[in-house]
Amino acid sequence: MSFDYQVIVEYLPFLLGGLVVTFKLAGLALAGGISLGMLVGLGRISDKNWIYYPVSAYVNFLRNIPLIIIIFWVYFILPIIVGRNLNPFTSAVIAFIIFEATYFGEIFRAGYQSISKDMVGSAYATGLTYWQVARYVTIPIAFRRMLPSLITQSIITFQDTSLAFVIGLHEFVTRGNIVNNLEYRSIEIYSFVAVVFLVLCYVGSRISLHFETKYRRANVL
Amino acid sequence: MSEVMIEIDNLSKWFGDFKALSNINETVRKGQTIVLCGPSGSGKSTLLRCINGLEPFQEGDVIVDGTSLTARKTNLNTLRQKIGMVFQRFELYPHMTALENITLAPRKVRNLPRKEADEKAKQLLERVGIPEKAHNYPASLSGGQQQRVAIARALAMEPKAMLFDEPTSALDPEMIKEVLEVMINLAKEGMTMVCVTHEMGFAREVADEIIFMDEGKIVERGSYEEFFNNPQSDRARDFLEHIL
Amino acid sequence: MAFDYNFKWSILWQEPYGMWILQGIGYTLLIGACAWVIAFILGVFIGTLRITNLRILRGIGTLYTEVFRNIPFIVQIFFWFYAGPMIFGPILGPAINKIPKLNLYVAIIGLGLYTASRVAEHVRAGYASISRDQYQAALSTGMSQIQMYRYVIIPYCLRLIIPPITTEFLTIFKNTSIAMVISVPETTFMTYQIDAETFHGFEATTAAMVIYFFIGMGVVKIMDLVEGKFKIPGMTGRG
Repeated sequence: MSFDYQVIVEYLPFLLGGLVVTFKLAGLALAGGISLGMLVGLGRISDKNWIYYPVSAYVNFLRNIPLIIIIFWVYFILPIIVGRNLNPFTSAVIAFIIFEATYFGEIFRAGYQSISKDMVGSAYATGLTYWQVARYVTIPIAFRRMLPSLITQSIITFQDTSLAFVIGLHEFVTRGNIVNNLEYRSIEIYSFVAVVFLVLCYVGSRISLHFETKYRRANVL
Repeated sequence: MSEVMIEIDNLSKWFGDFKALSNINETVRKGQTIVLCGPSGSGKSTLLRCINGLEPFQEGDVIVDGTSLTARKTNLNTLRQKIGMVFQRFELYPHMTALENITLAPRKVRNLPRKEADEKAKQLLERVGIPEKAHNYPASLSGGQQQRVAIARALAMEPKAMLFDEPTSALDPEMIKEVLEVMINLAKEGMTMVCVTHEMGFAREVADEIIFMDEGKIVERGSYEEFFNNPQSDRARDFLEHIL
Repeated sequence: MAFDYNFKWSILWQEPYGMWILQGIGYTLLIGACAWVIAFILGVFIGTLRITNLRILRGIGTLYTEVFRNIPFIVQIFFWFYAGPMIFGPILGPAINKIPKLNLYVAIIGLGLYTASRVAEHVRAGYASISRDQYQAALSTGMSQIQMYRYVIIPYCLRLIIPPITTEFLTIFKNTSIAMVISVPETTFMTYQIDAETFHGFEATTAAMVIYFFIGMGVVKIMDLVEGKFKIPGMTGRG
């Protein structure tokens, strides 16, 4: 059995172009997902029922649904709402943001709940409003405490972008498939794709571990 | 007779079915220092948090500097600028330096420009005795230093009254003195203070009135001498035996 | 807002689409259940490897976990389906490719292998949270290592990790949807097919959402029963 990795070299620009799309998709998904997640987390600890119940329903419902279905659903519903067809990249980004926000929301919620009531109370006691306390005290502290979990979830989000394949988005895995259909060197192609993910995600998990030990050692926050 | 700073009017509070505070009535005049004591679970901390609205209450009212907490048009955030609070576990923001802890509210609530806020904060740090720690993070400060920063942070909003919730209970004995000194100076300078504390030395020095609470009610009140030398109720007598 | 889309919910129970959806549900449940069996057994094994005394065994466990966790499942399933048969050489390879329903078997095995790495992580964390003294107490009564693991540590560990395991069980059914990329006729694939034929993908996808939601409820219910049966009295489960 002969391995011919020449095919990888030949198609490298094409494949790496897909990787760029993957990074763009992941970047936007993370920016949106983390931002929305901060708010979702706040909603999950709210004592106002008209906020708590809808947000909890949203989180609990979405966590039961596969991401592919959500990608399809957004892909189908957006043209209906907006009235014209949108490109798959936009639908994918929106689907990812909606989905990942539930996971980031739960991470932030745990972070918020780890902040003592008196810590928040001391901020209120100086006259800060709800949003000021959230912005200057609650969210920054939660973010630092949950950084390892946030990084881990970000790696998962990065992996999840590969599912955009199903709506024809030209990211890294899709391009791998295209090359496979052309050249049939499946072992070389898919092992290459796998190794790229393996390296990137492994490095990511090491970074997360680094922050976890660093904060634990300093006993900061 | 100096004006009334805090008036507590027939206050009752429940946590679910549990009645934490029953018909509390009390008047605190400007410049007075009130010490609240009692066994744990007596509701002292809860009462303190009702005064600045951190804990909601179901019956009665609290009127601070003329503003009622329960009145519809009262903005709690604005009201809280008039009352400073110091907590048992200091509760400094761990991600900010001492200086930033103090300047956060003046800058964001009063919109004070950064330079001015920093200047005032440095003055406050001098007042509590640790100006050199301005750029330290809480993690690198001792308990006593953190609590003094917390006092400075509360003073930064120029409050008309200060609430203290067992400010020295979490401190090692060597550090209790430095914090009590700051509090005593504050009282002597004329700040209206309500303190939950077991530090009877402090009470003897500056308290105008001692209030003894048990099971959510005010059981006894009087001056330091009256309370210590001649406690009226059995519960007060029990309590004194245990802490002395 | 141009709203010229005709909602046609009736396609959901029209033939043959109704049958397609039911068939899809069947495959989803089948793949999930079979893969879970593989994942659980393999996962406990690998997780246990990672805490043994032999460095090489720990290494194998760690290698497996890191490889299968860091590569997205969709890449893994493509690899096994397209590249997998080729590994068996020029004679066996094409023969494997001719197996009917190959995609189904690949989906089950691939999902099992992937999920096993996640189960292994939870198992390892479970062991780590058991205090060293517990191990030593068992050994001090004269038990061998294997007996200690079999009668004391593993049963205790498994109860400890019921909550994260429930999450994995839930996740495995969600991940069956990825099998659609190799044309396995499960729920999500059927949704896609219905859209391809009728252009009413929105209705079909909404139906799929509801289906997955109820599958999730079912899984949680089952795990609640399991947890109830194996509960250790006095141990706090929920915080």
